[in-house]
Order: sequence, then structure tokens, then C-alpha cells
Amino acid sequence: MTDNDVLAAQASNVTKEYPGVRALAGADFEIRAGEVRALLGRNGAGKSTLIRMLSGVDVPDSGDVRIGGTPLGDGGVRRAAELGVSTVYQELSLVPWMTVAENLFLGAWPRRGGRVDYEGMRREASAVFAELDLRIDPDRMVATLSLAEQQLVEIARGVRGQPGVLILDEPTSALAVNEVEMVLDVVRRIAGRGVAVVYVSHRLDEIRQVAHSITVMRDGRTVETVPARDATTEQIVGLMLGGETSAAERPATRTIDRTRTPLLSIRDLVVPPKIESVSLDLHAGEVLGIGGLLGAGRSELLRAIAGFDPPHSGAVEVEGRRVDRPSARRMKELGVGLTPENRKAEGIVPLLGVDENMVMSDFRAVSRGPAVSPSRVRAAATALVERLSVKTARPETPITNLSGGNQQKAVIGRWLHAGSRILLLDEPTRGVDVEAKAQIYRLVRELAAAGAGVLFVSGELEELPLVCDRVVALHGGRIRAEFSGPDITLDNILAATMAVESVEH
Amino acid sequence: MTTSSQQTQPGTAASPSASPSAGTARRRRLNEIGLLAAIVLLYVVLGSTASGFLSLDNQLGMLRDAATIGIAAWGVTLVIIAGEIDISIGPAVAFSSVLVAKGATAWGLGSWGGIALTLALGLAWGALAGWLVARFTVPSFIATLGLWSVLGGLGLYLTDALPVALPDNGLFRTLGGTVLGLPTSALVMLVLFAVFAYVARYTAYGRSIYATGGNAAAARLAGINTGRVKIALFATTGLLSAITGILLAARLGSGNGGAAAGLEFDVIAAVVIGGTLLAGGRGSLLGTLLGVAFITVIANGLVLLGVDSFFQNVVRGVIIVGAVLVNVAISNRDRAVRTV
Repeated sequence: MTDNDVLAAQASNVTKEYPGVRALAGADFEIRAGEVRALLGRNGAGKSTLIRMLSGVDVPDSGDVRIGGTPLGDGGVRRAAELGVSTVYQELSLVPWMTVAENLFLGAWPRRGGRVDYEGMRREASAVFAELDLRIDPDRMVATLSLAEQQLVEIARGVRGQPGVLILDEPTSALAVNEVEMVLDVVRRIAGRGVAVVYVSHRLDEIRQVAHSITVMRDGRTVETVPARDATTEQIVGLMLGGETSAAERPATRTIDRTRTPLLSIRDLVVPPKIESVSLDLHAGEVLGIGGLLGAGRSELLRAIAGFDPPHSGAVEVEGRRVDRPSARRMKELGVGLTPENRKAEGIVPLLGVDENMVMSDFRAVSRGPAVSPSRVRAAATALVERLSVKTARPETPITNLSGGNQQKAVIGRWLHAGSRILLLDEPTRGVDVEAKAQIYRLVRELAAAGAGVLFVSGELEELPLVCDRVVALHGGRIRAEFSGPDITLDNILAATMAVESVEH
Repeated sequence: MTTSSQQTQPGTAASPSASPSAGTARRRRLNEIGLLAAIVLLYVVLGSTASGFLSLDNQLGMLRDAATIGIAAWGVTLVIIAGEIDISIGPAVAFSSVLVAKGATAWGLGSWGGIALTLALGLAWGALAGWLVARFTVPSFIATLGLWSVLGGLGLYLTDALPVALPDNGLFRTLGGTVLGLPTSALVMLVLFAVFAYVARYTAYGRSIYATGGNAAAARLAGINTGRVKIALFATTGLLSAITGILLAARLGSGNGGAAAGLEFDVIAAVVIGGTLLAGGRGSLLGTLLGVAFITVIANGLVLLGVDSFFQNVVRGVIIVGAVLVNVAISNRDRAVRTV
């Protein structure tokens, strides 16, 4: 690249502070027309904040953002759009029962003589798709498209206004492996037309395929920009972690009797579209971590094991006995309990007290005859509150009065009440503070020590070494690596979840 | 009924995945074709069993009955597509019939004045309900339940539940009678149908309604003022209720605070039978037109067949739920396409 190249977007020494967090601490970023730049960094490194600055959603505290040489100032989203910035966010924002063409022009439908000009709209949509070499029928209902096609429509909408800068926030995180290629093709073609593409992703293998260079962020700064082609996984991981080691606070290793029949055994489990084939054993007393990126199929795997989504094929065995048709009810009877990723929407029942939130997994255990007995509920809840050290004024306090960490403990307590021995914890520390995280780790260790088996899913890979006896890395619908004992390091897990190749070293 | 994957439309780019657009379009039409077939079947059966069903008088009478449901149903279709609901139709129609009668007589506004007052107030209470929904996120079920109770109560309070006679003049005779041999109310219904079908399909406002009900967040991101859309929608159903009330009063010769009891459920049933999703985002005026026809023919047939009038409700209830079950089955199959 020469100096003559246009700087499509530029951020210099940008800082941004949100209440309690220094999100950006002097970030520098430059991208030229026609370039695909990957933005990489751990959660909280500042990627999203940088994107918000470039797209005008937020204004920097200090520093300068320029689009095509023009300062953005505090012009906001509208000004950024005028200057040619277009952002495609992670969540799909299409209207399912409208056609592809109508979604492409959502809210800005071309009109002729006061009426929506369907013919013209279809023509323009076809032109946009033709330019991207996409074969999507503009007349189809979006609801009938695959997720990948929907993502492509979102991207097409992003480039419809001929932007100079296109920001893609994890465009492939919801897609299955075979669908990713379609998106990468389109990104290449968009860049070929001279658009600068900022590509946020965690998937190193696809970054290598599509990006020219990689900017790594850490602690609110842009650490280094390296050519994508020769970047090694070790180098990138090193830049992301910045020499931080994770050896601290490893739990005391306990010996787990692996000669006994595993508590839970999964063989060749296939759950389309995300899980291609997964086998694993979970022993009594063991905490098995499952690490993977967003969209790797972590939650899908747990849901299938818990009987919510029937697997396409494969076997689930509990204590050596095969479960023929795993349903949620059957798995609960067998002692499997799942705490979901989205605690607010799927975990707690907001209007009920802590007590009822816990005993709801088994009302019969707290009943006398046909009626739920308040005194038994109270006794059971009090015992659980004590055992899990849930911080609550009283057992019947509304669960929404509790902090996130204590809500999570109560949700775990629900399964203890049901007598579950196999706990599937999906992101149990999401959205809870540091102290509560440590408490949840301790609780999980204690439950395992008491004989439970725990599957601990986390996208915050750095917590896996703190709590797990063994860790498997999920990538592309399969388990790509397994680490135990001293090999459970952040470097190892991160490398294995990001890149397929690192397994084969 | 599924769709052959070879069946892509000639001339359009084929999508790489298997589900073809022609199939979707056909599946969408299936509901309407099915309803049409059901109506034809009803005509055949009732034509041969119920004496007088096919007579001109009975057919015109059915058109008049259809108008009472249909006019409001056009507006309620759009309200439901936007993801909301309006259950105030029955009392709103009754109160409107009282307003126009009182306005034209006791309040001395004259016939045109009474009509203007009724239309203006209908627009106003509809807009008020819409404003409560849009501005304060009051659930539309509750906002219109309030309206249901207030308007129903006012209609009876103002009249002591007694009919209020309309002045006997040419205007009201025309409104309650026929034009060119067709019931005036039916003509109004058909004209409004054309207007609503056009607005829903061909105006930016109409498409904004679909976008609002299909994905409100996406609509807002795309710069659509979803609050304004909702206010306009409820104002429209208020206006349509007023029109229905005026026509009903003209037909009966009086305003009646207890008229049109339960009409809101016939309206909602017609919309839902017509294939509009109660969850919003999807539906069509044509479907509602067929739904109105379906309900009207059944009600008429049950009368002609001499079914006990209490038992008619039982039969109608079963048929309505059955028709909606068929719809649900069809749209579930649609969704299956999405997840495969």
C-alpha cells in the first residue's frame, strides 16, 4: 500500500470511559479503501467500543475519529452514515414475513407516484445481489431463508447505500461451518469494490482467509497490527493475552476414579446444524470445562444432553445405561439439571421468591398430600440458601432483589433440590461481579467434591483453568482438543478454540 | 403439500438452498384457496339443503350482515398485523349508533352534523387508545378493554338502554337501504376493502405496519416511527367502528346502546380465520375478506337450517376453532422450512 491510498477511516488516540470501566485507553486505528481488517481481542478488550466510535453511536472522551478524512465530531450515527459508514450488528434485524427486497430497503422503500415501486425495488435488489454475486431471490420471504442467507441479506443491506466503510460485528458467529464460506466470499467481493471492511471475529481460521491484516486489541488499546497471512496462532494469542499467565489459583487437583462407569457418557452426538459429532465422558467428582467461541454450539450441546432438543443421532448414557429417547422430563428423573445461559429469560422466574424459584423443580418433595406445604418449602429453601450461601434477606424475598451471582446460585439450588447429580452449567458466571464469580467457582468445586459431575460451559476461557479438572475445546461442531492438569492453560484453550490447525501441532 | 424443489420461478435467480420461492408463495395462497373452497362447499351444501339460501333476498341480506363485520375487520386486520389487538369494536359500534341518533335529534346537529360528530369522536377515541399503547406501552388488549367498557357503558347510560329513533329522511334511508340494488353498507365495505388492500400493499405506511409487527426493533432501527403507526391504526379502527355504527343505525332506524353485542369476537375470528397471525407481522386483507364471508355464510346457514339459536353459538365456536387450527398447521409447516 502506498501513501496515496485513501484512509477510509481513522481513529487517533481515542479514549472512552463508561461508568466504572475504561473501555478505550488511547486506541489508534487506520483502515484504507479496499482493505479487510480483522479486529481481534478478548471480551472487554475494547473492540465493540471502538466500533461504536467509528459508527458514531458514541462520542470519544478524547481523541479524533475521521471518516474519509473528515472529522466525525459528535455528529452521531446519522453523520457517520452520511460520511459512508455502515454497520451490520450481530443480532439479525430482519423482518421475517417480508420479502428479501423489502428488507433490503426497510423503511426506505422506493416509491413512484406515492406507491411502493415493487418492480423498481426488485430490480435494484437484484442489482445489489448481482454485484455481490449472490443468488438470493428478492421475492422470497426472509423467514424461509437459512440463517446464512439471512446474514447475507443483512450484509447486502449494509452495502446497499454504497458505503466507504463497512463494519461487520461477528457476522459468522451464528453460522455453521459450511455456511461461513458464503459470507467470506461476499466480504472479499465487497472489499474488491474498494470498500474498507472492519471485520470483528474470534475465528482465526476465517480471519486468515478473508482479512489482509489483523489489529489486536488489549485493555482498551490497539496493541499491534500484523499481516494476516503470516500471523501464527501463538503470536496472536500472545498479543491478546499480553504475557498474562493463568497459572494462578488453579484448584488443588483431586484424583478422579476413571475406572468406574462415567456418570454421563455421550457418544457421537449429532445435533444439526451446529454439533457435527461430539463424544465425552463425565465422571463423578469431576468438573469438565467446555470452551468454545460464540456460535461454536456450546449451548446447543448442553440443551441436547438435557433433553430439550432431540439429537439427530448418537447415544446418551447415564451411569452406563443408555437413555433411549432423551426428553427433558426423562433426563431430570435421571438426575440431569441444566442452568441456562440466559439467566434472566430462562433461568429465574422473576415474580417469585427465592424459595419458590428453588423448590419448583420438585413440588412433590415439599408437599403434604395434594397441597404444597409452606413449612416444608421454607425448610427446604432455608437449607439450600445456607448450603449455597445465597445472600438473601429471607428465603421468600423476590429473586429479582438479589444480585446476579446470588440469582445464579439459586438456579443451581433448584437442581440440587431436584436431586440432580449431573449439572450442566451454561455460562454460570455471565454478568456477575468478580467476587460472585469466585463464589460460584468454589460452589462448583464443592458440588463436585460431594460427588456431582459438572459440565461447565464458558466463553470466558480464562475462567476454565480456575474451576475445571479437564477442559475440552469445541470448534466447528467437534471436540478439537482436550487438556487436563497443568495443560489447562489459557493459551492452550484459546488457541484450540480459535484455530483448527493448532490441534495438530 | 410440499413443494418440489425444481419449482423455481423461471427468470429469477435460483437460490442455492432448496426451498423455492414458488413454494412459499403457493403455500401462502393455500390458506386463501382452502378458505375459498370451504366457502364454495358451504354454498353447495346450504344451497341444496337450506331452502331460500340462494335466493337474491338472502344473498343481499348476507352482504349486509357481512358489512357489519367486514368494515371494522379491515382495520382490525392491520392492527393485528402490527402485533396489537383491538377488542372494543362491539361497544364502539353500539355507542356510535347512539351518537349519530342523538346528534341528529336530541342534540340538534342535523343528520350530517350527527354523522360528522360520530366520525370525529370515533377517530378521537381510537387515537386516544393508540396513544396509550404507543406512549405508555399500555398493552393494547387493556387499552381497548377500557374502551370496550367505557363506550359500552356510555351508550347504555345516555339512552337508558332504550332505542333512540333516527329522523326519517332520505339520507338515512339511503344509508340503511340500497344503491343500484345493492345494500349501501355492502358498497361501503367493498370500497373500503379496496382502499385498505391498496394501503396495506402499496404504501410505505402499509409496509411499515408489517415491519412493525414483524420485528419492531428492526423497524425502529430502519427509521420507522412505530408509535405513530400504532396511533394511526387505532384511530382507523375507531373511525371504522363509527362508520359501522352509523350504517347499523340507519338500517335499524334507531341508535341502540345494546346493539352489536359480541361483534368484536366475530371481527377477530374473521381476521384470524383469514390467516393473519395473532402474533403479528403476517396477514392479508384478502384473507380477512374470505374470513368475513366464511363467518357470514355459516351464521346465515345455521339460521336457515333452523338450528336452535343457542346451539348456533356452539356450532360456530367449534367451526371457528377448527378453521384456525388448520391455519396453524399450515403456518407451522412454513416455519419448518425455516429451521431445516
